[in-house]
Amino acid sequence: MTTLVPVTYKGGVYRHDEIMDLIDDLGGYIVQKHVMAQDVVLQSFVPRDDIDLIRQIAKPLAGEVVEAPLVGTEIAVVSPSLEIHHLPHTSCDIAEYLRRAGAKTNMVGLSRGFGKRIANLNDEERDVINEHDLAVYVLGSFEECIRQKFPVLRRGIHVPIVVTGAPDRETLMRIIDPPVEGYVGGVGRIMHRFKRPEELAKLDELVDEVSRTLDARRDELARDPLSVFPPRLMAIVEEQIHEVTMLTHPTPVTAQMEGLRVKLPYDLYADAVRALKVADGVTVGDIADVTPSRMRNYILVRIKPFSETRVLV
Amino acid sequence: MPPLNYFVVESPDEVGRDAYERIAGDVLQDLDLIKVVDRLHIYVDPKVPIFVAAGVLRHMPRAIRVADFANVNRSENEIVLDIGDETYLAPLLQKLWILYGKENVEQPDRFTVVLPAGTAGEEDLEQMVVADPSETLYKDVIYALQYIAPEGFKVRRQYIRDGKFYYVASEDTLPVDIVETMVVPIFEKMGVTL
Repeated sequence: MTTLVPVTYKGGVYRHDEIMDLIDDLGGYIVQKHVMAQDVVLQSFVPRDDIDLIRQIAKPLAGEVVEAPLVGTEIAVVSPSLEIHHLPHTSCDIAEYLRRAGAKTNMVGLSRGFGKRIANLNDEERDVINEHDLAVYVLGSFEECIRQKFPVLRRGIHVPIVVTGAPDRETLMRIIDPPVEGYVGGVGRIMHRFKRPEELAKLDELVDEVSRTLDARRDELARDPLSVFPPRLMAIVEEQIHEVTMLTHPTPVTAQMEGLRVKLPYDLYADAVRALKVADGVTVGDIADVTPSRMRNYILVRIKPFSETRVLV
Repeated sequence: MPPLNYFVVESPDEVGRDAYERIAGDVLQDLDLIKVVDRLHIYVDPKVPIFVAAGVLRHMPRAIRVADFANVNRSENEIVLDIGDETYLAPLLQKLWILYGKENVEQPDRFTVVLPAGTAGEEDLEQMVVADPSETLYKDVIYALQYIAPEGFKVRRQYIRDGKFYYVASEDTLPVDIVETMVVPIFEKMGVTL
């Protein structure tokens, strides 16, 4: 079986459809397509052996193919509030940097995430964060505050968490109990754009930490694989439900590590999604849970593992 | 950072102290207040919790008059204002409309305002006060401190008068004598009496 690896293709608009066709023909999947003026960025999964072929074909088009460890993941960047104290620099810079590594990031601004005595997490915030593959908590400058309020902010969260804050990594590891999956120290509240080498190094460290955490999850998934590879299901949804193509969202169908978020109203489309044929005699409803998402009125598709369905498409 | 004459950040948390020094520098720079603030002392302790910022302003900017940004040319039947700097054009027009009526204030292009001599001949137009930057400066300084202070510190007391300012904030109710116990000593460190 060919292994699909996550890559980002960056090139011009000119003849980029050839690259898209090529990825399709090779059995790869395009998870996200961004057209910005004359540039195109394709976040995709391609067979490992064919990367060189794509590079070769993309060469005359001045396109480049780089490995992007976070393609096909949806990450929540959780900020204690959407006040000027955290935005734009810390939260947006982090979200944007993760996007460059291929992730789809959503910013979650808590309504009452500030203040160590009054901080809390409501049920909607908790459920929305739990719909992601990973949550990055962007916390502040004081050890004392992080120690006191982090237990409240993580209550009920079962997805992996990576914490950033001004205290160094060791301090963060010491004050956070029970431990979380990743720590990046030396960030905290920064009121200017991340542009100095040491700040960019911190962002790289964050990407490494996030991809290490997600790789661990991928290894776990490999032991009991999902019934269908999410980007494959995404291609099926996009092909068969034509309303998806009319949505104006940047990612009308968002691929996650273990499912999809389909940005169509649940009430009207859930049955159509459940009835989609994945293979002969197998529908989406057989191999996945189709549930309402807490994010607007979207549909959340959670693919069940092989051990549960005995189906592998 | 900054050409302040005195800039000290104190905190029991060493990492937090460094972070707040950078934050304060960035905010003052962003809001263009470096030239306005002369001395600034910040004390922050998340364990109490308390945030105190106290300081002294440099000179306050004076009121802006018409002569500062426009030439007033009087002729027999009209007065032509030749605008040099558009920054205060909007408040100037507002004032002129109130004084002379909209129909009498003509603006043939961006840099010219024409008034008929009959309606606006006598007053000392050059000396008319158009805007007072110190009004917004007070707001800017308080906004900057609000921006610097930790976000959860919502209970606050602020003061700005005669070139001196302080801003005390906490998560909990502030003690009645907080100014005497915390702010006055900080002003003493800067060599100023409140």
